[in-house]
Amino acid sequence: MDQLKTREEILLRMVKSFTENEVAPFDSEIDQTRSYVNNLLEKVHDAGFYSLVTPEEYGGAGFDGRTSAKVLNILAKGNASIAVTLEGHYKSVEQIVKYGNDKLKAKYLPQSADRIIAFPMTEPTGGSNPMGINSHAEKHGDSWIINGDKIMITNGGLAEIYCAMVKTAPTELSFFVVDQDMDGFEFGKQEKFLGLTGCPIGEILMDNIEVDEYHLLGKVGMGPEIGNSAHDDARVLMGAVLTGIMEHQLDIVSEYATQRKAMDTPIIELQTIQRKVADMTIAKETTKLLYQQAAIMKDSGQDYEQEAAMAKAHGSRAAVKSGDDALQILGGYGYSLEYPVEHLIRDARAMELAEGSVEKMRTEIALIEAKSRV
Amino acid sequence: MKIVVGLKQVPETTNVKINEKTKNIDRRGVSGVINKYDRNALQTALDIRDVVGGTVIAMSMGPNDFAVSLQEALSLGADEAVLLSDRAFGGADTLATGYVLAEAIKKIGGVDLVIMGQQSVDADTGQMGPIVAEMLGISQVTYADEIQPKSDNELRIKRYDDNIEQEIIAKTPLMLTTTGNAGKPEYVNVVEIKNSFEKPLTTWTSKDMPVDSNRLGQSGSPTVVRRIMSPEPKERAGKMLSTDATKAAEELAGILHEENLLAEED
Repeated sequence: MDQLKTREEILLRMVKSFTENEVAPFDSEIDQTRSYVNNLLEKVHDAGFYSLVTPEEYGGAGFDGRTSAKVLNILAKGNASIAVTLEGHYKSVEQIVKYGNDKLKAKYLPQSADRIIAFPMTEPTGGSNPMGINSHAEKHGDSWIINGDKIMITNGGLAEIYCAMVKTAPTELSFFVVDQDMDGFEFGKQEKFLGLTGCPIGEILMDNIEVDEYHLLGKVGMGPEIGNSAHDDARVLMGAVLTGIMEHQLDIVSEYATQRKAMDTPIIELQTIQRKVADMTIAKETTKLLYQQAAIMKDSGQDYEQEAAMAKAHGSRAAVKSGDDALQILGGYGYSLEYPVEHLIRDARAMELAEGSVEKMRTEIALIEAKSRV
Repeated sequence: MKIVVGLKQVPETTNVKINEKTKNIDRRGVSGVINKYDRNALQTALDIRDVVGGTVIAMSMGPNDFAVSLQEALSLGADEAVLLSDRAFGGADTLATGYVLAEAIKKIGGVDLVIMGQQSVDADTGQMGPIVAEMLGISQVTYADEIQPKSDNELRIKRYDDNIEQEIIAKTPLMLTTTGNAGKPEYVNVVEIKNSFEKPLTTWTSKDMPVDSNRLGQSGSPTVVRRIMSPEPKERAGKMLSTDATKAAEELAGILHEENLLAEED
């Protein structure tokens, strides 16, 4: 028996069953109430999802990038918000694994089984332009004093541990790990966003938080590298989430178009509908191939920055367009708040902005491509 | 208590394909899952073990890829697993399958309780539990809905049959089949999957048990499948009546009259 393959198969069987029973039936309610109803987070925690990518030596399951992306693909078909909550956690865990010193890993990785970790970078003055941020850390003896506010954090308010990007000199970016139990840590306001409404987006306020040296992620000045690494990992997972959203759209459209009749003919027989369903299918499949290719490259130690950017840039626009096609096919039902199609467009739209705008993706994709050919 | 749970790996899809030549289920290219009623059987066994102590052994007969479902059972909490796999077992009907399962249970020895799901969702016969019980010569209770251990060798079992609730006190050795109400199947914990590989999963072939080769596989299967077809999906027969109660009553009376469902007045 191939142990790794069997482990993955058992895991994916569970995730499918979990999604069908605990997630999908509550999709619209999660969207409308802006909360994880039916104790979903508790169930996600109890099934061990938080530990999926945490290495085995720290009590986790240690699944690779390809498997974790597949898990989010399946979950997102049931509800994209919960998949994005886990995406934010997984990418944060992965950066602590990659860049954390032994003491930091020993402190926070075992906690990742029970506490969500977030990765705040954005501030009112800087997001895609990281040098625009104002948060800063100053060294005092063997410790650092951190000040500043972070906004629009995925899982902000829900997460208990934060890998925060701050300036350690006017042109030097670094990351520190802080948590909600520290003096000077406070939660700020919660955002009310258009889509992915189940996933909390909020602020944290850091007022003279004092941390020991080992809370520094990597080394001083490694902020840009760590930030890019987190983006790359997040973008692979977002490609998977977007694939799940498109699979959900296709499920709805396929059922509707085979049952709904126009002049005694199921509308799936009409070429105008077929063209839309075909385009949706191609969009879903290309996004799936892109995220899986990026994940395979990541797991085999290759550079996957461009593939990750393509998965997100292509997938996010494709899922919005695919949602628009789905809405058009369902007509008035598609436009109704009682049916899930409209919120799937709102959910997908978030990912044209999060983890770097699609415009920024295209710059990265173009520069990597051009550089590789010169 | 030593408990054996029979598990069947069934196609994930409800759209089961049949091999036209052999009239058997075509499992090629279809991913498998544990039969849903067998999940109830497994959970029941785990719950009983957790109260009275003992061992839960998951057992399945089938090709090598059925081992994934047994590994899943180990991840869910079973202590050991046995896969009965041999080319000679291939093409078995319920009688030949029951024979192999019963022989394997005899080989384990000292089994107090055998639990299986009420039926498989692919073949749907519901025969396996009773056949194994007969071959082992032990008592059986089928379609059990609620099972509570009363003592180390007694179970209190509730079953609902044609709106009659029965409560049975049964002594081991015993065979139970469980409905979808028995036990509350839990999800595999993500972290427990890897730990399950430390538990024993053994494969037994026909050489590992004292079996009569004439009773194995196709040669041991008296069942002849003449024809298999998928039932045509039924069109919905419902009729929409007016939302106004008076009008709806008039329309309903009219329909009943047209269908000759109303007795004529004298």
